[in-house]
Amino acid sequence: MRLEKCWFCSSTVYPGHGIQFVRNDAKIFRFCRSKCHKNFKMKRNPRKVKWTKAYRRVHGKDMTQDSTFEFERKRNRPERYDRNVAENVLKAIPKIDKIRVTREERHHKNRSSFIPIYLYWKGLQSIFFGLLLILCKNLNRMKGKKEKLLKEAVRELEQGISLVKAPSVLQQDPSLTLPKIKVSQPQSEENRAMEE
Amino acid sequence: MGGKCPHRNVKKRRYSHKTARRTKFELKGDDMVYAQLNKPDEEITPLPVDEDLPGMGQYYCPHCDRYFSNITVRDEHFKTKRHKKRVKIMMGPAPHTQLDAELAAGMGMPDNGPKLMSM
Repeated sequence: MRLEKCWFCSSTVYPGHGIQFVRNDAKIFRFCRSKCHKNFKMKRNPRKVKWTKAYRRVHGKDMTQDSTFEFERKRNRPERYDRNVAENVLKAIPKIDKIRVTREERHHKNRSSFIPIYLYWKGLQSIFFGLLLILCKNLNRMKGKKEKLLKEAVRELEQGISLVKAPSVLQQDPSLTLPKIKVSQPQSEENRAMEE
Repeated sequence: MGGKCPHRNVKKRRYSHKTARRTKFELKGDDMVYAQLNKPDEEITPLPVDEDLPGMGQYYCPHCDRYFSNITVRDEHFKTKRHKKRVKIMMGPAPHTQLDAELAAGMGMPDNGPKLMSM
């Protein structure tokens, strides 16, 4: 019994599920459900559809390089049955699965640490556009209501600049950031030993 | 009595004829077109003469997988937006394959065992 992967969304296709399409050059396309099949018929590119695994990999949402990915693979060669090996494999599967889950969690946590830097960059951008505005104002002076509006905007912006802080300041002053929750991972040392 | 075909004025009720849809499903898949375009120069053969195809199958657009009746029509096609878009896609990264899907699912490269035939 072989568990195939869906061509479109990369989920596992169990026996008796989904549909397969064999093209006239004998290439096989397997789909886990009609949703994936329909998307294929619409000639959509899985790398551009946000809910597929291919998209998540390409855009750095999921972990891409890991040693746990080396275990599950298509083995196109006969394997002589060995009772002990089969037993050990069955024992190892849940352990490896656990390791992968913890590593994925860590990956997602590390990803979210990029958010303060992103916000800082956004702040810098707004300052830059504000400076441009001030320059424009100095170049051609406007009259009446427009000028008043612009002055107000500039004042508001200058106040805004003092509010934006660099990430280094955030590190020094913990009151500006969200409190960090510590997650204990007693498993990690064990896992590394297991892997080798 | 009225025929099977709904009235043509109502856009969403138009009868879908196979001849009208033929261009859609007789096209080659993206990966086949990509493989054809990226063939090394030695393997490229001149177009075979086929009397069933438009222009005896001599005026072909490899990007869009279409045959044209003569050279002027083909050159006109090369100027179209659709063709240019298609060329842009085909110049980009290789189309999605089953192997990509498996790698994205967290599988390793396929293991084919040791090579038995020495080359």
